[in-house]
Amino acid sequence: MITPDDVAASLGRNDGGFGREQTSYYDIPLLQKPHWGWEIEWYFFIGGIASGSAILSALSDVIGDPDDAPLVRLGRYAATLGAAVSGVLLIKDLGRPERFLNMMRIVKLKSPMSVGVYALTAFSTISGLMLARQARADGLLPFDPAGFVPRLPLNLAWAASAALLGSYTGVLIGATAIPVWFSGSRHIPAIFVCSATSTACAFSLAVLTIIPGTKAAALRKIERLEIAAATLELLVLRDYRARAHALGNPLFEGRIGQRLRTTTQLYGIIVPIVLNLPGALERGEHVSRTARVRTLIAAGLTLVGGLALRECLLRAGKVSAADARAYINHKELGSSSAS
Amino acid sequence: MTEPSGFFTDVTLCIGCKACEVACKQWNELPADGYGLTGNSYDNTSHLGGNTWRHVAFVEQMDRTTPADSRWMMLSDVCKHCTNAGCMEACPTGSIVRNEFGNVFVQPEICNGCGYCVPSCPFGVVAIQPQSGIAEKCTLCYDRQKDGIEPACAKSCPTDSITFGPVTELRAKAEARVEALLARGQHVEIYGTNEKMGAVGNLNAFFLLPDRPEVFNLPPDPVLPSTYQPGAYASLAAAIGVMALASYAIWRRR
Repeated sequence: MITPDDVAASLGRNDGGFGREQTSYYDIPLLQKPHWGWEIEWYFFIGGIASGSAILSALSDVIGDPDDAPLVRLGRYAATLGAAVSGVLLIKDLGRPERFLNMMRIVKLKSPMSVGVYALTAFSTISGLMLARQARADGLLPFDPAGFVPRLPLNLAWAASAALLGSYTGVLIGATAIPVWFSGSRHIPAIFVCSATSTACAFSLAVLTIIPGTKAAALRKIERLEIAAATLELLVLRDYRARAHALGNPLFEGRIGQRLRTTTQLYGIIVPIVLNLPGALERGEHVSRTARVRTLIAAGLTLVGGLALRECLLRAGKVSAADARAYINHKELGSSSAS
Repeated sequence: MTEPSGFFTDVTLCIGCKACEVACKQWNELPADGYGLTGNSYDNTSHLGGNTWRHVAFVEQMDRTTPADSRWMMLSDVCKHCTNAGCMEACPTGSIVRNEFGNVFVQPEICNGCGYCVPSCPFGVVAIQPQSGIAEKCTLCYDRQKDGIEPACAKSCPTDSITFGPVTELRAKAEARVEALLARGQHVEIYGTNEKMGAVGNLNAFFLLPDRPEVFNLPPDPVLPSTYQPGAYASLAAAIGVMALASYAIWRRR
């Protein structure tokens, strides 16, 4: 709303309100907003859990001990389910969903979207094979279609495709023209790797705690890995904030920043680390009732924090795209001279 | 491929008639934008988008003490048809190509509307068109060029503010125009043919500006998204490495 005082002030400046000292064009957004909505927020979240669960499963199958069997089994079911849901979410988000197969016309390493499509395809295929193997072991299938493939190469391929699936999304949004994203292009992929690991650990801990039968030693390993991932995630987030300077404002300031600091950093990372610490350090065979409750609360908080992280990042991208001045002055604002 | 074709848009000649906007809409059968008024001078279109492939920006610089120093500038914005196009690099389906005229072209029958080109354009040009669900932008009138006629906007421009032709010819013309204006004491510069575009490279649709680019909502330092990929992949690899070491240390049998 323009008031008479504004007009008087602008005349006093001799610039008619727009002026020679003009630094933008009516503050109309210069960049286009990404159209990605809740489907992509949930895809980033579910894809992360699926990829992390697959890695936990493959890891336990290759170098784990017999106590890890429930984790091997859970990862195979969770990864397949997660991959299926991911595919549906991605197709639903397309402007022309019936043309989703056009993604497979070419392989284009220059496009992180194309890399991601093939990561998801490879991951889904191998997850399906692992699911069949598990279903065979569980007596649900009469044969194992990938029975001729030895355990080690199959698990390695599965883990590799999972690692790429859980992290390419960071390259996808980091390598764009959106200031808040490109200012974190060296951080977002690492944050997604850590968050995929910690949310998958939280998901596995929640399921294996609710369904009894898993040995305490197996649960403690997951808790330790979750603490390691969450700690690294927190450090990288802090470094992102420090290095993005004013370009990071859409993510680290305002309502989105508030949510990132509380829901993700405090309740989704720091509190779960504290809650998981006693269990991770313990050595006994027995898991007490309070320990189970503590684990479940930590897992719930980690999962909520992980979803909030992805929502904050994607929504900050839209805010950043609308800020023409941030993009116009990105060289100055992204350096330490101004913040 | 012959030499690329492009646009040279001269702000000092534009009278803000919007004939280019109308001609573009009519030729390409683009939906109307409605009747909303923005209050920003005569600019009620605001920005390029899926339905708007030419957009005339109106910049008012009024000087109350010396009215003769006032300026009212108009710029007809368009897709820049970059040498290194962010949209084209981002496109996963191969829908966005460089056609035989050297223009960046979205093949409408291939695009599936993934939308990744949208945040990858350094100039905020390409956008998802709501009715078709696919990414749309200036085609540099591909269909007209195939028939050997110039694009609709350039054809309709009454002052030749928009000119169409082979890019080298247009550049020579632009440089001559800059020299002529400088000789008359008017400060102008070319946007899109100098080193300032960084990794994006020369723009095949470029502009002659009498003021800084940001005044017309053009970025002074456009970024090419793919230049951030090496750093992003390094971050990915480092984090995967750390997590792999941590999980190995935790899982290995003692």
